Amino acid sequence: MSTNTQSVSTPRSGEGTWLWLFKIVTGILLVVLLFIHLLVNHFLSQHGLMTYADVVAYYQNPIIPIMEICFLAAVVFHSLTGLRGIILDLKPKLSLLKVIDAILVTIGVVAVVYGIWLVSVIASRG
Amino acid sequence: MDNQNNKPSAAKFLTWFNPVGRDTGGWAFILNRITALGLTFYLFLHLVILGQLAKGPQGYDSFIKLMSSPIWIAGELLVVAAAFLHGLNGIRIILTTFGVSVTRQKQLFYGLMVIALIAILIFGFHMFSA
Repeated sequence: MSTNTQSVSTPRSGEGTWLWLFKIVTGILLVVLLFIHLLVNHFLSQHGLMTYADVVAYYQNPIIPIMEICFLAAVVFHSLTGLRGIILDLKPKLSLLKVIDAILVTIGVVAVVYGIWLVSVIASRG
Repeated sequence: MDNQNNKPSAAKFLTWFNPVGRDTGGWAFILNRITALGLTFYLFLHLVILGQLAKGPQGYDSFIKLMSSPIWIAGELLVVAAAFLHGLNGIRIILTTFGVSVTRQKQLFYGLMVIALIAILIFGFHMFSA
């Protein structure tokens, strides 16, 4: 059907234009960062960061911790807004959605803070 | 009728993933949603497991040794495959969102999926021959 093949992505009802737009922006960012991440981890480093020592050495270049934290923040945001989009398709009540939103925000903040902590621990062991 | 499959409704949860009677856009939707759920699951698994790094060389190196069996490498290839399928399909969604090639979505989808398949094969070869 022509209407179906020509449909494009738009915000869901209740999704919010900013969340939808940020999901697209982080999506673009992830394509770039994941490409670099895969390239460096699997092709440029000789053994593919297969030992603890390799990982610590890799994190001594200051660009790497910064890139990995940006990558983490983008991927966490993208995956949690994506998950919220799927939940919206299940038509939750508004009161339930508020609880779900609070849980998703908490998971996101904890994940990023945990990642920053882990990256700084690894980087400091060089 | 095809268009009705994507109408959001909790009762139709399982029909989201029913490929019967779908056109190309429906397949793209199923592929994107399944890979999204898989990648989200992997993301948090990955974060928890990388916590082994904080325990020092013993914990991490023995874990990596455990992961070097072909079964786990196949699992990792599944993650790589999901990332390529989701990422390249996402490029189509981004392009059409901004009005690029809206009337050529099918061709764009097939082209990107061919690229995904080639990338998956390259990574698979690289991962199993290393």
